[in-house]
Amino acid sequence: MSEPVLTLRGIRKRFGAVLAVDGVDLELHAGEIHALVGENGAGKSTLAAIAFGAVIPDEGTVDAHAVVGLVHQHFQLVDRLNVWENVLLGREPRRGWRIDRDAARERVRTLAAEHGLDVDPDALVENLPIGVQQRVELLRELERRPGVLLLDEPTAALAPTEIASFFRTITALAKAGAAVLIVTHKLQEVIDYSTRVTVMRSGRVVARYDTNATSTDEIARAMVGGDLPPLAERAAVTPTPRLTVRALAAGSGGGELVDGTFEVRAGEIVGVAGVEGNGQSALADALAGVTAYTGTIELDGVALTSSVTPAARLAAGVRVIPQDRRNEALVLGWTIAENVALGRHQTPPMRRGMVIDRAAENAAAAEVIERFDVRPPNAQATVDALSGGNQQKVVVGRALGAHPKLIVAYQPTRGIDVGAATLVQSRLIEARNAGCAVLLISFELDEIFALADRVLVMSGGRFVGAFDRANVDRGRVGTLMAGGH
Amino acid sequence: MPAFFRLRIVRDLAVALIVVFGVGSIAMLLAHVSPIDGFSALFDGAFGTTSEFAETLVSATALLFPALGIALAFRAGLFNIGAEGQLVLGGLAAGVAGVFVPGPPIVSIVVTLLAGAIAGGVWGGIAGFLKARFGANEVIATLMLNVIAALVATYAVDGPLHFATANEGETPLLAHTAWLPTIVPDTRLTISIVIALALAFALRFVFNRTVFGFELRAAGEAPEAARRSGVDLSRIALLAMTFSGAIAGLGGATLVTGVLHRFNTGLSPGYGFVAIAVALVGNLEPIWIAVAAFAFGILQNGALSMQAEANVPRDIVNVVEGLVIIALAGRRYVASRRST
Amino acid sequence: MSALVAALIALAGLTLIKATPLIFAALGGVLSERSGVVNIGLEGIMIGGAFTAVCVSGATGSPLLGAIAGIFAGAALAALLAFVATRLAFDQIVAGTGLNIVALGGAAFGLVLVYGQPGASHEVPAFGKTGEAVLTVLALVLAGALSLFLNRTPWGLRIRACGENPRAAASAGIDPLQTRFWSVVAGGAIASLGGVYLALAELDLYSDGMTAGRGFIALAAVIFGRWTPFGATGAALFFGFFSALQYTLQRVGIPSELMQALPYLAALVALAGLAGRVRAPASDGIPYVAEAVRSR
Repeated sequence: MSEPVLTLRGIRKRFGAVLAVDGVDLELHAGEIHALVGENGAGKSTLAAIAFGAVIPDEGTVDAHAVVGLVHQHFQLVDRLNVWENVLLGREPRRGWRIDRDAARERVRTLAAEHGLDVDPDALVENLPIGVQQRVELLRELERRPGVLLLDEPTAALAPTEIASFFRTITALAKAGAAVLIVTHKLQEVIDYSTRVTVMRSGRVVARYDTNATSTDEIARAMVGGDLPPLAERAAVTPTPRLTVRALAAGSGGGELVDGTFEVRAGEIVGVAGVEGNGQSALADALAGVTAYTGTIELDGVALTSSVTPAARLAAGVRVIPQDRRNEALVLGWTIAENVALGRHQTPPMRRGMVIDRAAENAAAAEVIERFDVRPPNAQATVDALSGGNQQKVVVGRALGAHPKLIVAYQPTRGIDVGAATLVQSRLIEARNAGCAVLLISFELDEIFALADRVLVMSGGRFVGAFDRANVDRGRVGTLMAGGH
Repeated sequence: MPAFFRLRIVRDLAVALIVVFGVGSIAMLLAHVSPIDGFSALFDGAFGTTSEFAETLVSATALLFPALGIALAFRAGLFNIGAEGQLVLGGLAAGVAGVFVPGPPIVSIVVTLLAGAIAGGVWGGIAGFLKARFGANEVIATLMLNVIAALVATYAVDGPLHFATANEGETPLLAHTAWLPTIVPDTRLTISIVIALALAFALRFVFNRTVFGFELRAAGEAPEAARRSGVDLSRIALLAMTFSGAIAGLGGATLVTGVLHRFNTGLSPGYGFVAIAVALVGNLEPIWIAVAAFAFGILQNGALSMQAEANVPRDIVNVVEGLVIIALAGRRYVASRRST
Repeated sequence: MSALVAALIALAGLTLIKATPLIFAALGGVLSERSGVVNIGLEGIMIGGAFTAVCVSGATGSPLLGAIAGIFAGAALAALLAFVATRLAFDQIVAGTGLNIVALGGAAFGLVLVYGQPGASHEVPAFGKTGEAVLTVLALVLAGALSLFLNRTPWGLRIRACGENPRAAASAGIDPLQTRFWSVVAGGAIASLGGVYLALAELDLYSDGMTAGRGFIALAAVIFGRWTPFGATGAALFFGFFSALQYTLQRVGIPSELMQALPYLAALVALAGLAGRVRAPASDGIPYVAEAVRSR
């Protein structure tokens, strides 16, 4: 094999108490598509950032013989600038002391055509759908003619057809001589498109494979270090009516909810499958009462109009697990106990007249810690110091601990390790068994299929398909998600 | 948690001390005064005699009220830069009410102080309303209201609220029943310091134990999480600014009923601004704020002696206080809740 | 008829005089905020510019030298805020408030040191009518230049990127901290001209509190003008008009304090009316801290 274009040797990186990367070696060769896999928290994003040069390792060397580009998991685009301004930021073509706008547009058009990517140079990024935004991010890196291209979870926000088109571009790049590293957890894509696989777990490399000599099962086992812990048993339950939604419309601009009509019964999990950006956030926000909407929402026969406050909904037994725990669920500087009280602080037993009942607060926190195996098991620990998985357990625990009638779980296992994810999923199943109505909104099809009694598909702000657990067709779901019929 | 908290307080205090003594010394040298002379004049003026010490406590109390109000707003995620205006209008209201109030001292005093608190509360509430209803930036709103308050007071006291018995720019002497009783004879130190300290303890209870305090802190530290957990952010903004203004207004009222016994347009030498520094040095915790108020009272009171005895212009104290504010701007006081 | 025309022309002229310091301050605010730093300290920067200009003009006999010194003073004060806001990532509003107090106290302190008396300085050589007009024209030209700079040049683009999404700018190879630092300093230099105008053009001395909250009105003008140079200039002219109106109406017998309050009331009303309808640069006021990547 030829000389590697990028070499990482003995990389070690610590963030506070967490050892994110613990002695990793990696080589990238020209022309290969190298998959870096691992569960959330395994250290793969950190390693990619180190390879790019954005993060300096505590120990180890990074040896690059070419320009390195990184397409981030969360796009680094300036929403209020247009496409060519984003692509050429820092490398603007000039005419004297002014920017040469015509040259800029031309350069973007040429580059886009070269790689088969369709973009309008003058479009404002904030108006573009997520799939197109990713093209802009990619173009920005390609503009620098990188010899090494790092991609962090590139297909997270793409529909299945967009994924195929994306990998056509990537394969062409590799064929032209680039070394490509894809950080991902989508094992089927790894098998379909990569040439080599490196598996990370807890900051270390635990396995290396040639893709054509391995399987998704083998990789999955290496990722987890054994077999996955089992999910809770699904009890045989007869669902009864609970939530009825008719013609729900919310949000504006991209990602709006156009027409939501569905039901969630007590004792069932309804999974909403779809690609990110097709109205899921508007749906969750409408149910939570933090955005205005038209249409009807009825819970046990009681209408929840747009003006019903979040507080009233909490009192009515609606609990929402938001998708962004750091910004939308937790007060990071507070203790676990105080965070558990948040959302339950307006009614007894937490509330005693004008005062917060400390005893009730601590009891609730102890219950969450115990049932959800929160570590460290200290109710006075500050939530900011907890890992993502433990933070999410607190959020889910406090929602379920209130014995709600309806749970809206929006990406409940986003960004957390497999152990925590399985625990959260099990608790949701147990809530369903106990008669709770669960609406699960997730971008991970595996999660939907593992949990849902019924599967609904969202695309373009509408519900375009419904399946029962027994007769769900993965291929059909994928087509519907992409906007097909 | 307690150990970490104390560490930050110690660090902040150390920085504040360095600024005070370091910059103070430089300024004194610029004024051709030896720092030793300058600082000893300052401390002598603050502690020298019983009456001077009492006067230091008077300054401390004058700062403590607005500082508590500012801290309350800060904890809710709001900048109340308008404490000065709220304080002045509170003083004006007390100065007018106190001329007429009848009856036993208890009634007079309560009515007069209440008038001040209400006036300050209304003034703060305006900014709170603008924020709650329109999402208007409370920093600029309170800054504008400061200037308007000063103009309103000047206009009122020589115009519609002018009394024949008063000089220009002030109200007549308060009815004696409205005067706050002194607690150290022959000084200006009154029960206002007791009121202020009681308020500090009450505020601590509100922050840490009550539902309102819980929601207020949530709104200040994580507004989006608070909103989704049932906290009404608009209501909190309105109430926080109103209470904040009321406390500052109460401070103005105690200045009028306890120290000056009348309202004067020169009532406050910028207490509402220095109080920002006091609130920050006190880490937004009511009891520590009381300690910080004492420290700043020393500076404020001692500065007058420093000017008289050692010929160092008292304005250097303001420079030092401003630098302390800058030096302690390190904490993220307002969770990034953007609005115009 | 001609008396009315004359009165209107006088009003227009007075509006320009009242608006010029606001335009300078507002332009400085725009530059700073477009890069992502809220500069509450505009008031203090104007004070610093005014006081320094007066001292130097008095010492050298040249208002021009005074003006230049004023610019440096404004830039220096802004540099303090810029450093604290970028390298230390301190809260910008708190630091700006402190800066105002420092400048006000520093000028008062300086008055006694330099002029031996508190309250106001002696009269110093100042700009005549031509100088005043030049400064006003400069303010308007600066507005156009800043607009061109922000929208057409590479540096303007990078500044705007830092104000919207500094992390994205960083990933494109730009240093947000340095970009913000120099934007704030340059903004301070521009804003200080507002103080210079007050002290050496409209008047010929420095007095305690002469800025009277103009730095804060300038902040309102930035918002009112939607963070654009031309918009802020328009808003500054609007507020200046109210100031000018106050002088005219005073002769009609309306109490002066109420008239003086007009521009501030106008700013308050504008604030309430506009809130929610205008969008600040997305990262305005949010300190940028280079965050290391980790999956949480």
